[in-house]
Amino acid sequence: MNKKILVILIVAVILMNGCALKKSDNVLNVLNWSSYIPDSVIRDFEEETGIIVNYGTYSSNEECLAKVQSAKEGTYDLIFPSDYMIELMIKRDLIQKMDLSQLKNLGNINPNYLGLSYDQGNEYSVPFIAASVVIAVNRDMVTDEISTYQDLLSKNYRNDIVMLDDQRIVIGMALLALGYDMNETDPEKLEEAGDWLLELKPNIKAYDSDSPKTFLISRETALGVIWNAEAALAVQENPNIEIIIPEEGFAVSIDNFAIPKNAKHIENAYRFIDYILRDDVMVKIIEDYPYKNVNKKAEASLPESYLKNHAANIQDAVFHRGSFVENIGKDIVLYDKLWAEIK
Amino acid sequence: MKDKKILKNLFIGLVLFFLYLPILVLVLYSFNTSKLNILFEGFTLKWYRVLLENRSLLEALGNTLIVAITSTLVSTVIGTVSAIALKKYRFFGRSALNELLYIPIVIPEIVLGIALLSIYTFFHIELGLHTLILSHIAFSLPFVVVSVRSVLNSLDPHLEEAAADLGASPLRTFFHITLPAVMPGVISGALLAFTLSLDDVVISYFTAGPGSNTLPLKIYSMIKTGITPDVNALSSLILLVVISVLTLSTVIKIKRGRKEKAYE
Amino acid sequence: MKKHDSKLKWLILFPIIFYCLFLIVLPLLYIFIISFFQNDYYGGIIQIFTIKNYIQILDIVYIKVFLQSFFIALITTVICICIAYPFSLFVSEKKSRYKSIFLMLVIIPFLTNSLIRTYGWIVLLRKEGLINTVLSQLNLIDEPLALMYNNLGIVIGMVYTLLPFMILPVYSAVDKLDHAMIEAASDLGASKWQRFIHVIVPETLPGLFNGSLMVFIPAIGYFFISDLLGGGKLMLLGNLIKNQFLVARNWPFGASISIVLIMITFFLVKLYKKIGGKMDDLGGF
Repeated sequence: MNKKILVILIVAVILMNGCALKKSDNVLNVLNWSSYIPDSVIRDFEEETGIIVNYGTYSSNEECLAKVQSAKEGTYDLIFPSDYMIELMIKRDLIQKMDLSQLKNLGNINPNYLGLSYDQGNEYSVPFIAASVVIAVNRDMVTDEISTYQDLLSKNYRNDIVMLDDQRIVIGMALLALGYDMNETDPEKLEEAGDWLLELKPNIKAYDSDSPKTFLISRETALGVIWNAEAALAVQENPNIEIIIPEEGFAVSIDNFAIPKNAKHIENAYRFIDYILRDDVMVKIIEDYPYKNVNKKAEASLPESYLKNHAANIQDAVFHRGSFVENIGKDIVLYDKLWAEIK
Repeated sequence: MKDKKILKNLFIGLVLFFLYLPILVLVLYSFNTSKLNILFEGFTLKWYRVLLENRSLLEALGNTLIVAITSTLVSTVIGTVSAIALKKYRFFGRSALNELLYIPIVIPEIVLGIALLSIYTFFHIELGLHTLILSHIAFSLPFVVVSVRSVLNSLDPHLEEAAADLGASPLRTFFHITLPAVMPGVISGALLAFTLSLDDVVISYFTAGPGSNTLPLKIYSMIKTGITPDVNALSSLILLVVISVLTLSTVIKIKRGRKEKAYE
Repeated sequence: MKKHDSKLKWLILFPIIFYCLFLIVLPLLYIFIISFFQNDYYGGIIQIFTIKNYIQILDIVYIKVFLQSFFIALITTVICICIAYPFSLFVSEKKSRYKSIFLMLVIIPFLTNSLIRTYGWIVLLRKEGLINTVLSQLNLIDEPLALMYNNLGIVIGMVYTLLPFMILPVYSAVDKLDHAMIEAASDLGASKWQRFIHVIVPETLPGLFNGSLMVFIPAIGYFFISDLLGGGKLMLLGNLIKNQFLVARNWPFGASISIVLIMITFFLVKLYKKIGGKMDDLGGF
């Protein structure tokens, strides 16, 4: 019996050593959205630079905040928060000022997306990609005319909608449907939004932020209120899926590169950002995850399939009609309670 | 009378069918040429090759093994020694210690998970493989203690005394008398700790850091973002390993002529 | 006792004491303490005493989450009993060689990854999944059945994942039944049902309760099953706690829910001890 244990011990020691050897110091700890950068781009970066990328994921801005805040300072080197989260993280002193001179590809970015209200001088963040919420309809399954969120309440769509699993977006959608501001904090109006969502509830099949496209592609649901890239991917699989820009308004967001306070591998973080900002790399990312491109230089080489896909290639004019999620301070408690109520 | 027996066997068969149904489906689809997993289109071994190229999945498998082996070793050693010590020694706080050990067994995993996360945050401990190992020790150690203790309770209490009377040193007594006697408890405790660690989702979810993704966490995120059939291939391989290890151990048991029941 | 012995004793006990203090007492104590603190709405904890978090749990919205969690956990437990009890009885009547084979067959799936098995259920249960495809090919159904992304899906997933935790303790209780006693009862003219209710059930009650604990408690906290098979539509306590720690960033509130959950667990364990269950049986398969 003792021999067996010895064997196990030896194997364990070898394994542990193998792991220790592999862990070199030349790493980059990235915390990113769950479907955002293709594996192949990361591998190419690793090969080109010799930096090993450790990759963690989150599915909402709040989860990103939670992970950065609860991990020891310096755990992550690069994160991808959206607009309002950048503002919040600056306020809470969680991210550090960037040295933009390190980024020689900064000029590739479309200037329309620089210096926005959440970080006016781009002192803390550099835009990566933009997204907007759209309604996706599978025309094989639904032929009715749909142009608003209100239309989704129809009894024809029982258990037939997939919805983003994000409390700010979903409650914001209800507020827009009722003609209010997406960031409303008036308790009475929020209560109305809650009632509206309860009315919609029988039509919702699932809440999913990670891969709502799967529901549309596998015909699990006929409709979806989802981010444009997910819709675009669904359209690629099934061209009969139509994209509708809701008349009442919609949420938009811009995700950014940001470096947390006391990050340990800042040099590597800059190299990674600069690599992603390269137009050829950006095109590769956009091909796999067709969000709205904010890289001006990449525009020239975007594939036909992207340009023709209305879900992917949201026009600037349309994008500017959307609203950003804003920080609402302690009123977040109201949203949180409402969320527990409608689930 | 005979009908009844058939009905009973049918029931047993149905329960086993229920237990194996999803596994059989995965094994079957690991050979399917179609990626969408709905209709079986043709036989292929492609996904096993894809699996070997999926670096992040294999990395997660490696992490899982490191965490499971290390945490099992540590909790088995500490758990065995402690179970014996807790039985042998009388000291202040002994019963409190005994009670405390049941807590990780009974409380919901999620509570232990967030409690551990909070304490790591509080002490500014960086999350990574080491916190994962520590957390897995936290939930598996009591299972080892309980398992060893159940064997200890059925032992002859005069065994050690007799050895000591014959002039054996405490260390000698431990290695030559006590340890072999409790070995079945140690092994089943270690196996339990190992399987619990391999399969843990909830506690790992809260206590893993960058670069310490385990297989269950990786699969969780893969299921959420759209799974590829190489995961089916991986699960078929895991199943193959589990079944062969179990069959092998049964064969060895039968060969040794042990009459113990496989499950006690 | 010699001084040398006493030193050795504490040296041997040191790891387990260290373990209990740092991995059990301290984390839970910390959760207990922050459950009485205030939060600053974006993740911070303000060290001012309050019982507000516990009052908040009494809000109808959160009571609802407790109730739906317990409902799902209870249904899961009852179904597990209905499957495990007859299964154990029938298997225990077999020859001992077959018994160990059957038990091995129960344990094998439990040794493979539970998430992978959950994924297997997704392949089976979804709208255009295997079950619906087969049934419609056979013309047994016109419309696909809604087997997942609802409570049914959650219950199937929970029962499946937790069933071995019920079968093992129930089987070991059933297998230990004193057959002489059962025969004596039937010699005394007890009918089958009488025998079952008055002899078999009381004898196996601790095992049954043991299994119920091992099913009921995890069923409250397994957020990943309601996420994957329920479509994130039903909020269970596990999801609520996870949300408080990872989304809403209200750690004190999440901590207070956890404390209530621990209290409920301790109450159930007390009940288990009262009916004669042994603590060591809880973790012992």
